[in-house]
Amino acid sequence: MSPPILELVRVSRQFAGRTVVQALDLAVARGEVLGLLGVNGAGKTTAMRMMAGALAPDAGHVRLGGRDLAQHPQLARRQVGYLPETPPLHAELTTVEYLRFCARLHGVARGAVTAAVERAIERCQLGEVRGRVIGVLSKGWRQRIGIAQAIVHAPDLIVLDEPASGLDPVQALGLRALVRELGRAHAVVLSTHLLPDVAACCDRVAILHQGRLRHTGPTAVGGGTHLRLGTRAPLTAQTLTSLTPVATAAPLDVLHWRVGLRPGSDAADLAAALVGHGVAVTELRADEPPLEAIFIAIASGEALAA
Amino acid sequence: MSAAGLIARHEWRRLAAQPFAWTLAAIVLALMAWQFLLAVQGFLDLAPQLAARRDAPGVTDLVAIPLLRSFANLLLLLVPLVTMRSLAGERRAATLPLLLASGVGDARIVLGKYCGALGFVLVLVALVALMPLALGLGTALDYGKLLAAVLGIALFAAALTAIGILCSAWAGQPALAAAAALALGALLLIVDAGARLQGVTNAGINYLALPTHLEPFLRGIVASVDIVYFLLLTALALLLAVQRLDVLRARPH
Repeated sequence: MSPPILELVRVSRQFAGRTVVQALDLAVARGEVLGLLGVNGAGKTTAMRMMAGALAPDAGHVRLGGRDLAQHPQLARRQVGYLPETPPLHAELTTVEYLRFCARLHGVARGAVTAAVERAIERCQLGEVRGRVIGVLSKGWRQRIGIAQAIVHAPDLIVLDEPASGLDPVQALGLRALVRELGRAHAVVLSTHLLPDVAACCDRVAILHQGRLRHTGPTAVGGGTHLRLGTRAPLTAQTLTSLTPVATAAPLDVLHWRVGLRPGSDAADLAAALVGHGVAVTELRADEPPLEAIFIAIASGEALAA
Repeated sequence: MSAAGLIARHEWRRLAAQPFAWTLAAIVLALMAWQFLLAVQGFLDLAPQLAARRDAPGVTDLVAIPLLRSFANLLLLLVPLVTMRSLAGERRAATLPLLLASGVGDARIVLGKYCGALGFVLVLVALVALMPLALGLGTALDYGKLLAAVLGIALFAAALTAIGILCSAWAGQPALAAAAALALGALLLIVDAGARLQGVTNAGINYLALPTHLEPFLRGIVASVDIVYFLLLTALALLLAVQRLDVLRARPH
């Protein structure tokens, strides 16, 4: 993997004596979309503001391309695109006027502004409202203009705080496609409450709870080594462990088992072995804890089994 | 273009897109034009008596300077209305993060906001100054005195604008920012009123008062001490505004 664009090293932040983010370590590389999850008040917005350079950490370091953002705040100008929770739109301007200002503000050369704005308009599908005053547009349009201002200068790092807020289902699908596309050439950090968005857009997920990083790992689940097996007739553990692909077998009830596979084996191997042994299978599916279960376990304060 | 210049130009564009700025400009210019016409009519009525006196005051003293003095008083009210939205409005509309996360720096943001607002105010100063200057087409004006007065008004406006930006940085609501700027301007206007009633005219408290430094300009006297006062006041207010923005950067909302 390429070196990280964004690194957070033991980053902490307090407000009025209350620790909002504590010793947060994160890294995001180019070509990666990181989903930041957490209940309200978990510290997501504060963490994202620090990633974007809008807020300095009390302790630790935020590094962009290996350089400390606190010592080089000007890095944020060209290298970071940030969509806060409320899109920072100037309601009295048209979409194009606003995006032109954002491009210039982020250091796009005068001669390149038109092309940059047109590219952002095309990517966010804003052509229909390009000449309209932002103040009269619906929330969905405004959200998309907010995303456009975050990408207009083609930054290395794109930080999107709740970008799906206010979008209808069709627009939300378009946003997922856009985030995936952005993730190919940029490093993207995305916060959302919508777990399907995370599953659809993100390569990795980080879950914050009470200011601490409680879980980080790949979004894709189900490709692991544990399967849930249902059979028509009762089996014994010995029968299952005698099959070549099976390493462990733990009963869930009389007709259901949690089966651990040997390295190199997969569900197809197990299915073939079971059929070959004359076992009638009623259920065979991944038994990794899904993202939602992990999230709920953390949010409810339970210790997560590794 | 520098980031401060870009923000200043953007402020202009935003002001031009709002009916509020145009309405404000129209009201101020109509009010000043009406006062100007009344002053010219009064001068014409007095002209025969003035012609009989050897050292009678001219049109500059009787029309131009009173008009500019009256405009200076109006600026105390006008400038807070121009500056109130510059930062407080950004905070209320949750648009400040766009600037804070742009890596531009607090000083440049404040300077850009200041230059944008000051540009608008100075255009109004120039338009009002054109009224008495137009009399030069038909009569003799004391241009030196007039230019000194316009310079004084411009410096006065610059200081008031800086105070307005400071109040806009401190307040979370534009209306509160306008009220605070008006109160601060009024305080600096009358801070030495009590001392003057006691006959004290050359103490430290007099130095703090705005009229102490504006009046010499209106009398045609350009003194470096007065220029320095306005520049110091402007710089101090802008520095405090930068500090305030730094504090806002560290707040959650």
